[in-house]
Amino acid sequence: MNAFLESIGYNSWVLPALLLIPLVGAVLILLLPSRDEPIGGGVENPVIRQVAFWLFMIEFVVSLGLWWSYNPADNGWQAAIDMAWIPTWGVRFTLGIDGIALMMVLLTTFIMPLAVLGSWTSIRTKVRSYYALLLILTSGMLGVFLARDLFLFYVMWEVMLVPMYFIIGIWGGERRIYASLKFFIYTMLPSLLMLVAIIYLGLHVRTASGAPDFSYDHLLAVSSIPERTALWLFAAFFLAFAVKVPMFPFHTWLPDAHVEAPTAGSVILASIMLKMGTFGFLRFALPLFPGAAMNPTVRMVILVLAVIGIIYGALVAMVQPDFKKLVAYSSVSHLGFVMLGIFALTLQSVQGALMIMINHGISTGALFLLVGMIYERRHTRLIDAYGGIARVVPLFAAMLTFVSLSSIGLPGTNGFVGEFLVLLGAFKTYPVLALIATTGVIFAAAYLLWAIQRILFNPLDKRENTHIPDLNRRELALLVPLVAVIIWLGVYPAPVLRRMEASSQLLITRVEGRTDVARVSEAGRP
Amino acid sequence: MLLQSAVALASDAHPLAGTIAAWVWLLPVLPLAGFVINGLLSLNSAHFGPSDPNTPDHHPHSEGAAEAPVISHGEEEGAAGDDHHAVKRHRWAGVTSIVGPGVLILSFLLALGIWRAMTGVEMEAPFIQRYFSWMPVGDLHIDAALQLDQLSMLMILVVTGVGAVIHVFSVGYMQDDPGYPRYFAYLNLFVFFMLVLVLGSNYPVMFIGWEGVGLCSYLLIGFWFNDKAIADAGKKAFIVNRIGDFGFLIAMFMLFANIGVLDFVGVNAKALELGVGSGLVTAICLFMFLGCTGKSAQIPLYIWLPDAMAGPTPVSALIHAATMVTAGVYLIARSGALFSLSPVASLTVAVVGAVTAIFAASIAFKQWDIKKVLAYSTISQLGYMFVGVGVGAYVSGMFHLVTHSFFKALLFLGSGSVIHAMHHAYHTTNSHEDAQDMRNMGGLRKYLPVTCVLMWIGTLAIAGIPPFAGFFSKDEILGEVFLRAHGSNLASASWLGMPGSGVLYAIYAIGLVTALMTAIYMTRMMLYTFHGPNRTGATEEQHLHEVSWLMTGPVVVLGILTVIGGWLNLPRAITDVVPLGRPAVLDHWLEPTVGAATARLSAGTREIPASTEQLLILGAVVIAVAGIAFAFAWLKPARLVPKRDAPAEEGFERVVANKYYVDEGIDATVVRPTYAVSKTFLWRVVDVGVIDGLLVNGSAAIARGFGWLGSRLQTGNVGIYAWVLVVGVVALLGAFTLR
Amino acid sequence: MSFDLSLPAQLSSALGPDLLLMGGSMLLLLWSGWRPESDEHQRSVGMLSMALCIFTMVAVGYYAYTGYTATVGAIAVDNFRWVVDEILLIATLGTIAMSLDYNRREGITPGETHVLILLATSGMMILAAARDLIIVFLGIELMSIAIYVLVGMNRRTERSAEGAIKYFLLGAFSTAFLLYGIALVYGATGATNFSEIAANVSKFHLEKSALLMVGVALLLVGFGFKVAAAPFHMWAPDVYEGAPTPITAYMAAAVKAAAFAAFFRLWLEAFPSLLTTWHNSVWWLAALTMIVGNLVALSQRNIKRLLAYSSIAHAGYILVALTVGTKLGSSAFMFYLFAYTMATLGSFAVIVALGNRGEANMGVEEYAGLWNVRPGLAIAMAVFMLALLGFPIFGGIGFFAKWYVLQAALQAPYPQTRLAVLLVVTSVVSAGYYLYVVMVMFMKPRNAAAVLPPRTDGFTRAVVWGSAAVILIFGLFPDAIVAVTRRSAPSLSTDTAPQIRAVPMPRPVTASRAEVVTLRSDSSLNGR
Repeated sequence: MNAFLESIGYNSWVLPALLLIPLVGAVLILLLPSRDEPIGGGVENPVIRQVAFWLFMIEFVVSLGLWWSYNPADNGWQAAIDMAWIPTWGVRFTLGIDGIALMMVLLTTFIMPLAVLGSWTSIRTKVRSYYALLLILTSGMLGVFLARDLFLFYVMWEVMLVPMYFIIGIWGGERRIYASLKFFIYTMLPSLLMLVAIIYLGLHVRTASGAPDFSYDHLLAVSSIPERTALWLFAAFFLAFAVKVPMFPFHTWLPDAHVEAPTAGSVILASIMLKMGTFGFLRFALPLFPGAAMNPTVRMVILVLAVIGIIYGALVAMVQPDFKKLVAYSSVSHLGFVMLGIFALTLQSVQGALMIMINHGISTGALFLLVGMIYERRHTRLIDAYGGIARVVPLFAAMLTFVSLSSIGLPGTNGFVGEFLVLLGAFKTYPVLALIATTGVIFAAAYLLWAIQRILFNPLDKRENTHIPDLNRRELALLVPLVAVIIWLGVYPAPVLRRMEASSQLLITRVEGRTDVARVSEAGRP
Repeated sequence: MLLQSAVALASDAHPLAGTIAAWVWLLPVLPLAGFVINGLLSLNSAHFGPSDPNTPDHHPHSEGAAEAPVISHGEEEGAAGDDHHAVKRHRWAGVTSIVGPGVLILSFLLALGIWRAMTGVEMEAPFIQRYFSWMPVGDLHIDAALQLDQLSMLMILVVTGVGAVIHVFSVGYMQDDPGYPRYFAYLNLFVFFMLVLVLGSNYPVMFIGWEGVGLCSYLLIGFWFNDKAIADAGKKAFIVNRIGDFGFLIAMFMLFANIGVLDFVGVNAKALELGVGSGLVTAICLFMFLGCTGKSAQIPLYIWLPDAMAGPTPVSALIHAATMVTAGVYLIARSGALFSLSPVASLTVAVVGAVTAIFAASIAFKQWDIKKVLAYSTISQLGYMFVGVGVGAYVSGMFHLVTHSFFKALLFLGSGSVIHAMHHAYHTTNSHEDAQDMRNMGGLRKYLPVTCVLMWIGTLAIAGIPPFAGFFSKDEILGEVFLRAHGSNLASASWLGMPGSGVLYAIYAIGLVTALMTAIYMTRMMLYTFHGPNRTGATEEQHLHEVSWLMTGPVVVLGILTVIGGWLNLPRAITDVVPLGRPAVLDHWLEPTVGAATARLSAGTREIPASTEQLLILGAVVIAVAGIAFAFAWLKPARLVPKRDAPAEEGFERVVANKYYVDEGIDATVVRPTYAVSKTFLWRVVDVGVIDGLLVNGSAAIARGFGWLGSRLQTGNVGIYAWVLVVGVVALLGAFTLR
Repeated sequence: MSFDLSLPAQLSSALGPDLLLMGGSMLLLLWSGWRPESDEHQRSVGMLSMALCIFTMVAVGYYAYTGYTATVGAIAVDNFRWVVDEILLIATLGTIAMSLDYNRREGITPGETHVLILLATSGMMILAAARDLIIVFLGIELMSIAIYVLVGMNRRTERSAEGAIKYFLLGAFSTAFLLYGIALVYGATGATNFSEIAANVSKFHLEKSALLMVGVALLLVGFGFKVAAAPFHMWAPDVYEGAPTPITAYMAAAVKAAAFAAFFRLWLEAFPSLLTTWHNSVWWLAALTMIVGNLVALSQRNIKRLLAYSSIAHAGYILVALTVGTKLGSSAFMFYLFAYTMATLGSFAVIVALGNRGEANMGVEEYAGLWNVRPGLAIAMAVFMLALLGFPIFGGIGFFAKWYVLQAALQAPYPQTRLAVLLVVTSVVSAGYYLYVVMVMFMKPRNAAAVLPPRTDGFTRAVVWGSAAVILIFGLFPDAIVAVTRRSAPSLSTDTAPQIRAVPMPRPVTASRAEVVTLRSDSSLNGR
């Protein structure tokens, strides 16, 4: 495999290609002739969704090569490229992946085609624009994971907002307008504060020509930021990322956005966008300001918030009448585990946090897809509207049960690996917090099992539930890969862990201040 | 592929390498295959939905329509809480009947083969097969590996053997259920996880099985999920088990944080680093024991097991009597290296076991549901096992585990036959009486003679009448307790300020009392079920008859095992008197695995003369006989009336009948408050009210408010504009000049 | 070569583009009076005016290209002037293009309207060039008088007339302040020429002269009024709403640009050493303007008023660039001006395209569901809104403009961290109303009663797509413009920048501890 990739110079073009394919695809879709045919309610060109799907498949296949071409032993940038963009401002177009970004990229490209299948019949109006936006969104998200220049990173970070704003606002539920605006402004405010911090950093490190320098590696190499300033800058970054994660108490945009968004929107939000926050911590907030992040007070505050998020999210999820909202709050709980793992800062906990980032992407994505499927059939998300339907829709029931089990971290599914590693690692540094956090596994079981009992089990006492059609072949086909990954990551996560270990190790050494500056800075100039 | 590499990875130095033991991986894989096949069969009946689900098709042959009548049926019968279910044979029932039990029998044969191989060689170190690295993170190395040693071998034989028998029974019991393949899928999956549990070579892998069996018990308890009570029972089982698993997890974390290893070999090697009797090791053991209380239904986490009887009776036999619930005992025996370091923790285990034993026995007195009686007797017997492993008599604990799995499975399957017969009778006469309530039975002796005899065997065994299996194992435990009360490490330790020996004597006393109670309530059950006049009903009586050989056959097998099970570990005290056979077989067998731990705890035990021992045994027998006799004398089956006209219990009797209102208490003190607080305070107040309403939307509202004020100023009147301008001018002049 | 401004011939050739535009517009005035009023005639005059604009742009380009310089004198010959000129002319071009179609729809037949626009523009170009208070006043008057007329151009609607009279009254009021300020400054320094003022201030140590202070303060009032900075902004909403839409665009874009140009040049060339004096006042002016503009805009439901307040807010952002008073600040201002002009022209062009005769209903709600009937216009409008919001890629160049201002604010020898934070926070507030417009267009259903907007006329469409294209393309590759603005600071900065450093800087009342830290760390940096 590697030989083949070498022969086509894969590493030299793959990252730009990943950003470009969706953009070109978006244009292509907009140019498609409007051969209008009825799709369910609306009248649209049915070719569009197929084109979109295959574009995402191409994207996925292209990205898949990274799995092999990535060298787990090297903790520097790989497949890196570096081009001039705005020289007078010292802004460069630099991309690259490490083990962490690698997995996030693969997760993104893996989820997107499924998201398209999930919107297959549920999106009936403005199909063209919808898929075009999905494609643009993909570029933005990948850009965030790939950027090695803070300016570029910020641009991509903001670019994600607009397509998602439109996806929620146009194809969303009843309160979509409120939800979309809330989502936009909620995430924009801290992002702009982060912008100020980024500019400050850029000015802090000047290039030879005196222009500001936003290169991530150069910023890492510099350690002359005064402590107070570092704290302020960290605060700015922290807010931006904490809202995206979302950490308690910055999470209230999430239930609205998740619930109102169309299925694919919720899937992307949960599976990928929430990871932006934690990714930001790993890539920027911690390595750039180790002093501030590891300041005992700051660290403890963040850890406590994370643990609160775990318990609080679970408890609030438990009492939600709306299944989609329940899943949304469960995300708060899961991401709390991630934050705990990141700030506990042991190799196990960080690796575990990364695993949860992946697992949550898979499991919660699958849950949202399943909610969307049943919603398409009964047009309600209220748990009490169902009951006993396992008899009527056995396939759906089997899938929902299985995915829920992975979400509550049953050993042998992916969910367990992440939570186990996080708690195991966190216990070494913060036993008490880890102990409290571990109770989260009980609550998780409580809210999800209770929910699926009220949906799938209990007496089938509602007439309208007795004729729900079961999953169709498309829906089954889009769930099977997710199930496969859930089992794979649960049984044999070693390959994934191995690919991420070097980067996690580097992160920890950096944050603990034993960074080999020379090595980093030379990695910056490939 | 993976398994090839597995065989390659097998440690070649080991005597078992290259023997049939190399196929140990096949043991769990066989049931797993069975699960996959049956699972696919059960989903095979599903119809795909339309390509566009927004336009649901309403053609009458859709799954829902076909099932609808069945459902209503299932509901009303389910409401009676018995094993009743729709009679609608699944289209693949035939295949399932072959595959389901088949895989179990195969793996049992394989287990026998491996056992033979093990008896052949002299092995000190366990035989470990590494397949692949499961969670390698830095200094954490968790391998997907199986460990074969005498302890796991014993469990394997029990699990696959008893499991196979119960699988066969299930064929007769369940084949008319519409969910037949699903049932066997779950059952096979359970065996798979159970084997992973006993074979896992480190705690995390064991934990896979540990939670996996919990999952299967959840699925099987809730097998007839369309009844809310049943679904609740399943959920309750899972969540209560999760509480236990929480303890197990913490124990693992503490182990890793302190000695950095999680595999049994490593822990055994490094356990001493934790320090003998240190608070740390005590904490680890207690957290681990919390896990055991969950899985093995001990105080305080026993509450799920009685409800678990909502599942099909064979499930109760396999999971909630023979195998899964004994996992806790196995875990402690497995972790003997740790527990033996902490006398305090060990004593705690023993005390909890004893208290649970007597507590559960007391509840069993007042149960009318035949399965509930057995459920509480199970809890009580598990208490005995924990007493055994608690006092460091790991062999005795395991011994009782084995014999108990025989006679308790026997009793459950027997009750299953009874229920099946009762149910058949009620079903044919379309009556909706409770087929599990003993008040509706009575005099079944003449309808189910075989079952009656077999269940009497089981009863005598559990009551501790020689020569049945239960007698030997239970007395061995009590004997060990008595022994250790004399200046062993346990006796010299102090538990909550009490001297260890005193605690041990108390435990011994409790054990005897419990034995008496056991004899009584079990006899009560037998009397009310099989003796006296029949209370089933005139018309129903006609339809009562013995169940098919498919179900009696397995019970017979268990009956035989119950009779001869005691020979596994005959006490010397007896073999010295009557030459029954080789004594202490099990002791020898388990020596390499638990010997060291046993020695450490029983160190310093003063020998007591054989005569004393024989006296104790005699006393125990007398107690058992007395109990049975008392029951015969005291209970009058003739006076019983059927459930429907039975009066409600009064006073203390009611308290007991309602299990001391523990469930209600927990519900009122834990469940409801949590829910209420989460809903009204956390969600409505904190989330929606404060954070979202006050802070988020509040700030937005404030901004709009100021904007509104500003626009009010914009009257359109030029005069005002001019004035504002002048104000600005004045302000600026001030700023520039007055400085 | 370098012009010697003391020689009339060279002075007039230094004024070449301005003279070209003036002369041309005189001729056009005659030509438009030659024929009776008619739509065709006004269109032909309009075409010719646009042609004239283009000629002038070429001329300006030529002057900029040849890189003329000049001796110190009444007018400046530098890139600052040329770039501002180009921006002004682009705005003018767009305005005339719009008003061609607008006048036809509104039945405004006199061709003189276009000529008036040209005359106003020539006034602005003089402002951009002015290096003498007298010239400044000249330019402002020339510009304003033409604008007064243009605002009231649409005689049929009384709102237009109302706007005109308000603008005239308040304008006269503020001009008085301006003139008085000029007088006082002259009285204090004995000079009207910027560089002489600067020289005299430092020569006679007038930093503390009350006379000068009051003069500067009054000048600040005058310019504050022209750029509609709070609290001198009250006129703007009414006038913007009343004026014919193209003229509103013209005022929002060109007038502001010209006034700011003179503002910058005067402040940086004449009063650099007074930085300490005017710093806090301008700081507060900027802060107040950003806050008032954005907050009040939130509660606007009339698209023109909404954009009026948004333009006030943007004045605030530009003032931030002025506050730092450095070379970088002025090039940031230049960049911002360009981006802002483009977005403003575009958005007003959309309004023109969607408006209907008499401008009866300008409510944002009119655009409900626009996406379904006029997707092109809706998308373009979204781009302009995002550009004004300062959003990357989709808002194109708008984001870089904000970025540049922020960079200037933070890179100043005395970093304006507080102001920068205020800027971003208020920008978030602005999302509240910019997205409101977007939301209405894309997410609200079209109400059944609404009539289908007429097909957009050629010129307006050209403006819409032209500006959209510029915004998006330069939004991807801004470097060219950045480079231009880099070279186009007022000639002052070179020699006075060190002085600014030298000035002992009192910390503003608002400076937080964090800011002090920033200062320290940054000053340590300046060594590099």
